[in-house]
Amino acid sequence: MSVVVARLRALPSVQVTLAIAMLVLGFLVAAQIAGEGPRIRYSTEERSPLIETALGLQAQQEDLKAQILAIRGRIGDLEAQDPGAAESLRRLYAELEAARLSAGLVPVTGKGLAFRLEDGTQGGGIDALVSARDVRTLVEELWLAGAQAIAVNGERVVASTAVLDIGGSILVNSAYVSPPYQVTAIGPADLYDRLRASVGFVEFVQGRVEPAGLQLSVAELDSVDIPAFAGTVNLRNAKPVESVAP
Amino acid sequence: MTTPDLRAARAAALGRSNSRLAVALVAGILGVLAIGQLRGQAGVPGLSGLSSTELTQLIANLNAGNDRLRDELSDLQRQEQKLKEAHDRGQTTVGDLGTDLSRIRAWSGLTPVTGQGISILITGQIGGDGVEDLLNELRNAGAEGIAVDGVRIVTGSVVAGAPDGLSVENHAIGATFEIRAIGSPQILTGTLTRTGGVIAQVTSTYEAAQITVTPIESMTLPATERDLTLTDATPKL
Repeated sequence: MSVVVARLRALPSVQVTLAIAMLVLGFLVAAQIAGEGPRIRYSTEERSPLIETALGLQAQQEDLKAQILAIRGRIGDLEAQDPGAAESLRRLYAELEAARLSAGLVPVTGKGLAFRLEDGTQGGGIDALVSARDVRTLVEELWLAGAQAIAVNGERVVASTAVLDIGGSILVNSAYVSPPYQVTAIGPADLYDRLRASVGFVEFVQGRVEPAGLQLSVAELDSVDIPAFAGTVNLRNAKPVESVAP
Repeated sequence: MTTPDLRAARAAALGRSNSRLAVALVAGILGVLAIGQLRGQAGVPGLSGLSSTELTQLIANLNAGNDRLRDELSDLQRQEQKLKEAHDRGQTTVGDLGTDLSRIRAWSGLTPVTGQGISILITGQIGGDGVEDLLNELRNAGAEGIAVDGVRIVTGSVVAGAPDGLSVENHAIGATFEIRAIGSPQILTGTLTRTGGVIAQVTSTYEAAQITVTPIESMTLPATERDLTLTDATPKL
């Protein structure tokens, strides 16, 4: 042992520095290669304008959503300040607020779960990519377990929400979201226990997540914030049938 | 100092400068790699992994989504303006409140809705995942209301179960059942039935299933029987 230490001490410091630097270099190269994962990266020049267009449209979408949320807030304030604040009107306003809450048009908070779903490791092929079907399965299992509000990467899941594959990423409410996917849910205190007891969830974990090497992690949180749905609630083809109200 | 001593000193100095050069070179490469790693993590997530075709598809989706958002925004702006004017005149907005309430309740499934759309008749064995794939595609195609076997689909509704034991909202679904959706019949039919579309995919998984799509001029979908009141979530102020 003392011989080894003595030999190490005898080494010039520059060689030690070089050895450490080479070690770090090796680590970084390995990290760079591993970071590529199973996803393909395209690098052709002609894609640049398409990427710029997509980025511009994404920025527009975020701006439009922010404007919609802001204007909905102002409309709510105006309605609340109605000058003819008769009892019947106040009741109508309370109904409207309740309908907005049920419809997902109001941000909510509560106890819940936060899932993180990530691609599998390199070499797993296409099956090692998280797909829209995987995200939908997790969302469906959460609904069945009693969740009351769910969001995927900050997009509120409502009655009109579609989750679609686009390349190796997904669209939620027409918004482009990329992995890792964060699925947050508010529900009863035993939401996770109910989920783990579900045959469908167990099948999803054992039949899809584990064989494909996907990474699924979960945290039980005392406070989960779920944003309001910022999309359209306009009906173009459907008309309410008021006379047959439940 | 003798000549051999000078040579030895020069050789040692040369060795030291070579080593320094090597360290500097490695440090330089390290720096470049570290920056690459950081940029790679902070860059545009996912877009670099899309092909030109996928990017074109994404752009089409974003364009369509943004058009719908612009429509929503202009409707909301009109509504806000109307409310402001009524407020300034000291008038009540009961009519507007009622219209807003009716629209939100219809959209979320709390009241029945009527309109044109399509009927999807399904016979043969199909699993809950297959039905959910169809519903997902209907939502993507802009369906404004959906019912499965007479049960309105709302936030939280899931069609689940094996092919011979499907259910939705505690309602058992029979071997032959119908999905009805309100929306543009052309768009809904076109999206579902396109080559390689969702019906082709579902029937390749569930070979015994037969799926027929028929446009309908007018239909009524019932209100949900599900209680949509949130008990575990509270508004975030």
